[in-house]
Amino acid sequence: MSWIPFKIGQPKKQIIPKTVERDFEREYGKLQQLEEQTKRLQKDMKKSTDADLAMSKSAVKISLDLLSNPLCEQDQDFLDMVTALDTAMKRMDAFNQEKVNQIQKTVIEPLKKFGSVFPSLNMAVKRREQALQDYRRLQAKVEKYEEKEKTGPVLAKLHQAREELRPVREDFEAKNKQLLDEMPRFYGSRLDYFQPSFESLIRAQVVYYSEMHKIFGDLTQQLDQPGHSDEQRERENEAKLSELRALSIVADD
Amino acid sequence: MADFGADEPSCTSESPEPEERASEDRSLLHQRLAIRELIDTEVSYLHMLRLCASDIRGRLQQLPPGDLDVLFSNIDDIIQVSGRFLQGLQETACHGEEEQARLIGNLFLEFQEEFEQVYKIYCANYDQALLLVKAYQKDPELQKSIQGIIEAAVPQAGPSGLSFLLVIPLQRITKFPLLLQKILENTPMDASAHPVLQRATSALQDVNSSINEYKMRKEVALKYTKVEQLSLRERLARINTHTLSKKTTRLSQLLKQEAGLVPRTEDKEFDDLEERFQWVSLCVTELKSNVAAYMDNLEAFLCFRPHEWIVDIPGGPAEQYCSLAKDLHLEALLQFKQRLKGLVWEPLCSLARALAGPRNLIKKRLDKLLDFERVEEKLLDVGSVTYEEQAARHTYQALNSLLVAELPRFNQLVTQWLGQILRTFVVLQKELAEEALRRAESSVALLPHHHIPEPDFQKLLEHTLDQNSGQLRSFQENFEKVLPPPTTQPLLPGSEYQLQALLTRYAPGKLYQVTSNISGTATLDLTLPRGQIVAVLQNKDTKGNNSRWLVDTGGHRGYVPAGKLQPYHHTLPRERELRGQTGVHEDYWLPPPEPTQPSVPTVPTTAQVVAVYPFVARSTHELSLQAGQPVTILEAQDKKGNPEWSLVEVNGHRGYVPSNFLARTPSPTPWGWSLSS
Repeated sequence: MSWIPFKIGQPKKQIIPKTVERDFEREYGKLQQLEEQTKRLQKDMKKSTDADLAMSKSAVKISLDLLSNPLCEQDQDFLDMVTALDTAMKRMDAFNQEKVNQIQKTVIEPLKKFGSVFPSLNMAVKRREQALQDYRRLQAKVEKYEEKEKTGPVLAKLHQAREELRPVREDFEAKNKQLLDEMPRFYGSRLDYFQPSFESLIRAQVVYYSEMHKIFGDLTQQLDQPGHSDEQRERENEAKLSELRALSIVADD
Repeated sequence: MADFGADEPSCTSESPEPEERASEDRSLLHQRLAIRELIDTEVSYLHMLRLCASDIRGRLQQLPPGDLDVLFSNIDDIIQVSGRFLQGLQETACHGEEEQARLIGNLFLEFQEEFEQVYKIYCANYDQALLLVKAYQKDPELQKSIQGIIEAAVPQAGPSGLSFLLVIPLQRITKFPLLLQKILENTPMDASAHPVLQRATSALQDVNSSINEYKMRKEVALKYTKVEQLSLRERLARINTHTLSKKTTRLSQLLKQEAGLVPRTEDKEFDDLEERFQWVSLCVTELKSNVAAYMDNLEAFLCFRPHEWIVDIPGGPAEQYCSLAKDLHLEALLQFKQRLKGLVWEPLCSLARALAGPRNLIKKRLDKLLDFERVEEKLLDVGSVTYEEQAARHTYQALNSLLVAELPRFNQLVTQWLGQILRTFVVLQKELAEEALRRAESSVALLPHHHIPEPDFQKLLEHTLDQNSGQLRSFQENFEKVLPPPTTQPLLPGSEYQLQALLTRYAPGKLYQVTSNISGTATLDLTLPRGQIVAVLQNKDTKGNNSRWLVDTGGHRGYVPAGKLQPYHHTLPRERELRGQTGVHEDYWLPPPEPTQPSVPTVPTTAQVVAVYPFVARSTHELSLQAGQPVTILEAQDKKGNPEWSLVEVNGHRGYVPSNFLARTPSPTPWGWSLSS
């Protein structure tokens, strides 16, 4: 009787070296993180631009409603001020829309495209995993036959098993190599890929704020507002409130 | 001497009768006495005032300072005015009697305005002062100490102490017309003083009625401006027959007006004022809600921080964007939000609250107007009205005059303040932009293309993005080339030969492998072992059953259940490629056919192509082909860019077919294919 070596408790045979597995997991792990970040970045970017547009629209509404108030017909100064404000708001809204369009084109779209590679990657990794399972299974089968007594039928089965194993092992190795080559390249490509988008993003902001500064700067000049500090303004507000309260028709709150 | 009079009709005009002279002398005496009284009482009045202001007020330290202000109001101003007045009075004493009377008249006229200003405030405040006094009386300890202080200074104050003292100015101002009247009565009509004194008397009467009106307005304002927060229960409790009848009466009056039965009291001046008030009110309300919406949107914007997801893209614009965005969010925009809140939002809230008072008064005025009109009607009909109805008239008039007096100023103030707030809003925006640009300065200088003007940058960017997306596509394709693993079904011994035989007759896409043993039951069913390779001829049987397929084993044809078949991927050629890479390998089977190059047909879309092999469509996207059938290629790749499938059109039907089933006429492509390209 052939002595069966003590096999109980042995861990699953490592058919691929630990280092290979570790490398693979590390590279894939990085890409999984990158996938998550890309998704979140894209989503938040979109939400941010939507909120930006909403803000701009509500600014326009401020001046629009003021313009439609009958006070404008009676009070020329009021009308002048509100008209100037309205023009400024509308122009800012147009610039804002341009900015958002730019962001959409140069940041959100590229993000989306980058993200669309991941499903293919994930599928490829799955397939490699499948190949690995098949490889393991067949390897185990071969080893089982190798353990047995070398009779005729056993030898034939062993041979067949080996034949089955070979293509599968080669397939797995090919997949593994392919992915181990491609994954780091893909990961590395993000640097060159994303930098233009962020540069565009910064520039778009600067352009927008420059316009904003000019438009509101001109408007400030036009409305003849002296450069007060915040405390001064607060005092002015307090003063106005006191004047109002001095009237009997105003209730004390 | 009492009965002498003008009984005799004749009188000599040269010398007055002794009786008349006597009465003249009497009048003159009375006048002098009255003048004396005026001056003396003024002296003691002023003395008493000073006593109150300094001694008594000074000693009432146990009362909180706010209370003292309410009690004594503007007594200091009264003292000041009265002091000067007394001085003027005393100066008139130097002149002759007639002159003195005239001067006194003039003095009153001079001081008329000041008296009105000073006393109206004191009088309007008096009721509140009385309330305080009453409150003190409830506290015996306090009352005793107050009383003690007063008695020490003013013994004649008596038990009612504080209220006795506080009413003195009221008594004085109302005394003036009476004193003047007395002087006037005793002044001969032809004296130069007479007209002056007359004017003075009526002037002081006017002062008193102005003070009254002012007081009434203040009372009315106090009563009606408060927007009472009543619970439902309290509101219900307020409803009684009286209030109900008031309301129904008002409603019926309003309806009568609407129906034209009763003329509406048109007050153009008030209506204009009210209209303007409504516009101003609308402006404030709208602006407030618009600013609220703006601030909500700003808040929402601050919620999203995409820059926080940029991890591990070190260096370059990405990092700069990260730090810039953080700066803007945490500092510039936050500061903007806070300033907006303090300098725009909160003033708007105060404005909105201030609108409540006038709004209430206007509404009350309308109510009272309806009452007033009804009372007027009744007056016309009946000729008299009840006390309550008189009161309603007065209330309406008070409200009306109050509003007419103060609404213009109110409207003006609100408009001015609105303008101020809007200007502040503009300045805040400008300063936000300044701040943002300042923070971006350093980042911009570091950008790789900061020196390139914007339109050129756009072009460069577009070009780069195109290139990048091309690169992405290639990555994607590479990943898609990692294909499903080959079927692990082992080939049966000797089946390789059979496989090759099948391959000569059928396209590789037709090859299926049996997954588990099939034992046929019906006449045309086949019995096949697991692992057998077959070629599928039809994916349904003659009765249209899709789960029973017609297959060819290379020797026999028959039906097998479709569920026991799985597509067979021939791996030989790829293996051969691998073999080439991995070196020497056992070659068990057939001599390797020529390693075929992957044939990816780059057929122009309009070329005439022919199907070389028959193909059975397995889904609606695919199209069945017959051998030799001419087809038109629409696209030489599928939607994912995979060149192994082509979109073709045949007889008006469109579908995908394997690209290597097609050949360009006249020369068909040599058969041979490989899975991977």
